[in-house]
Amino acid sequence: MLNYLTYIVAAWVFLWGLYGIVTSKNLVHQVVCAAVLQTSTYVLLLGIGFKVGGTAPIFADIPVGTPVVDPLVQALMLTDIVVEATIMALLLSMVVKANEVAGSVDPEELRVMQG
Amino acid sequence: MNPTMLLPLPIAVPLAMAAFLALVAKVIGRRVADTLAIATAAANVWMTLVILHTVWLQPLTYWLGNWWPRSHDVALGICLTVDGIGATLALLVSVLTLAGLIFSWKIFEETENHFQPLMLLFMAAMCGFSYTGDVFNLFVFFELMSVSAFALCGLKTQEPAPLQGAFNFGLVNTVGAFMIVMGIGLLYSRTGALNFAQIGKALGTQDDSLILLAFLLIAVGYMVKAAIVPFHFWLADAHAVAPSPVCVLFSGVMVELGIYAVARVYWTMFQGSLSPHTRELRAILLVMAAITAIVGALMCYAEHHLKRLLAFSTISHAGLMLVGVALLAPKALGGFLVYVLSHGVIKAGLFLCAGIVLHRLHKIGEDHLHGCGRGMWWTAALFLLGAWGLAGAPPFGTLLGESMISDSANEFHQNWVAYLFMFSEIITAGAVFRFTFRTFFGWGERAPIDESSEVEEKPETEAEQERTPLAMLIPTTALIALGIVLTFVPNIRSVAEGDAHFFTDQASYAAAVLQNIEPAPAAKAASESLTPSIVRCCIAGVLALLLAFASLFHQRVGKWLRFSHSLELGNSILRKAHSGHPGDYVAWLSFGTAVLGGFFAWFLRG
Repeated sequence: MLNYLTYIVAAWVFLWGLYGIVTSKNLVHQVVCAAVLQTSTYVLLLGIGFKVGGTAPIFADIPVGTPVVDPLVQALMLTDIVVEATIMALLLSMVVKANEVAGSVDPEELRVMQG
Repeated sequence: MNPTMLLPLPIAVPLAMAAFLALVAKVIGRRVADTLAIATAAANVWMTLVILHTVWLQPLTYWLGNWWPRSHDVALGICLTVDGIGATLALLVSVLTLAGLIFSWKIFEETENHFQPLMLLFMAAMCGFSYTGDVFNLFVFFELMSVSAFALCGLKTQEPAPLQGAFNFGLVNTVGAFMIVMGIGLLYSRTGALNFAQIGKALGTQDDSLILLAFLLIAVGYMVKAAIVPFHFWLADAHAVAPSPVCVLFSGVMVELGIYAVARVYWTMFQGSLSPHTRELRAILLVMAAITAIVGALMCYAEHHLKRLLAFSTISHAGLMLVGVALLAPKALGGFLVYVLSHGVIKAGLFLCAGIVLHRLHKIGEDHLHGCGRGMWWTAALFLLGAWGLAGAPPFGTLLGESMISDSANEFHQNWVAYLFMFSEIITAGAVFRFTFRTFFGWGERAPIDESSEVEEKPETEAEQERTPLAMLIPTTALIALGIVLTFVPNIRSVAEGDAHFFTDQASYAAAVLQNIEPAPAAKAASESLTPSIVRCCIAGVLALLLAFASLFHQRVGKWLRFSHSLELGNSILRKAHSGHPGDYVAWLSFGTAVLGGFFAWFLRG
């Protein structure tokens, strides 16, 4: 059950993030929803790397053969965090600029191009 | 010297130079930074050319930190695996970056916008993207190119439009990127591997929902970049506002890399699993490609903002390129490669022409430009040549790509593909012809008022210019000329097909990467006659001209030609769907994913 639970939670968070982005009326809120969406990838990766009874994969003070969690997944997650932090910072800085230029953070009001 | 040692250089050198330039740009001044950036791009052209020459017949693998698979087929390290197709795309990336950097010599007066470092970063990321042999690194390079692309797109932060375009671009692509991470996570959970070859080997012919879901998530993520309908909405907004030299890279190669990634992940990893359903997958992808080509073409003809017009033409052509992948056959994939190369240089040339128009005339809307370009004969000639190339008519290289893809489609009894090509080529080329005749010749009635062309764009350059500077004309002319030169590269068709044979052969790819076994040379493909394609494409070119004239003189032509005018006014429902609202775009993305997932679940299971 625990195995499936993480996948369900990941899908749940993912869908709420999507819902937030689609319905948002505020650019800051929209970026934060994207960040929520992103946490679903953390949950998924955690679920994949987790092992019941596993300990931290540092073999300095534990005997070889002890069950450990998957160290590669945490490397993936770390990369994921770094990459997405950059994107969130960039998107938020665009929102700040948009507020300076257009005086609003409503995507409706920032809209100058369509069709 | 061992040639594999060269492989990381086209990624490492521009990365190092980008960091250096970002540090010292203010100290060394604009011109020195420009020169260094151009020199780096030129060096990259040379390096990617040498690599292409080396891997032409024998793909090479470089293991980072020398972590080659010691126990034969367990790859723990990260590798770059360069084959003919990847090497060719990296060469295209470098050439277009060089052209863009030379073109930008005269634009951007200020240096504090980090234009040169971002361009180099973009180039390094795209080279890495085409070279890598590791699914997670593919994602990392994808994100690196996305971040530099978002920043380049929103470079002009003093205006609302670039911010809107860059924000929409960033948000939609980021959602796509999350899907890719999830797909990679699922793959890793099943196989415990991240190397393409290793995953392909571990998956073997297993065929279940988890693998299908992983394929769906990864394919959709890359299709967002590839601007496949309904994931394409961000593209027009981003292209309309990005500086012209940046559009060159967006349209010329970034979009195509998205399609390349779909092809790469399919053939190296999922081919075995999905092999019982090849027919159904082909049908699904072909339908998506056809919808993309048609929607892109219809929107393209209705646009009067030059950059948006070209952007929608890119969407339409992305649909045609997807046909090359969707047929799931080496010959069509070879055609894809040739088409990407020739379309890339032609479309890049046209975007640079758009940059010249903006530079000289300070406007970009077709209704405002009517007759303003008289006297700019050289630019007009480049536009006409570019449009002729978009029509795929001889002597442009697009013809060869078209012929390979349609021949391959005929082998699968998909004869309509040739007509799809004609349809898209007639309309997209017709739109560029129409723009050229109105702007540079002042012919016909004025363009109808079009809201989307009302977007103000500050010129990229100051001061009224009487002449087009050489720094703008030379790269533009060179790119259009390259589109012709490609046709005459000896054996380009059979070489591309040979590369595609290796690309689509999962077993020999895995053997080459994991065991360092040289693939058997592909049997030399017989080149088929080009005559039917030449006839088709010439007809397409002429019809495109006729369409343009029918639009220009719509009040004087016969009733049966009036459809050209309604084509120019566009379909209001379709145009309203391109709402410019990031939330709507993500809604379309979710909808498209759900529909595609439904089709996958229905047709590609058990």
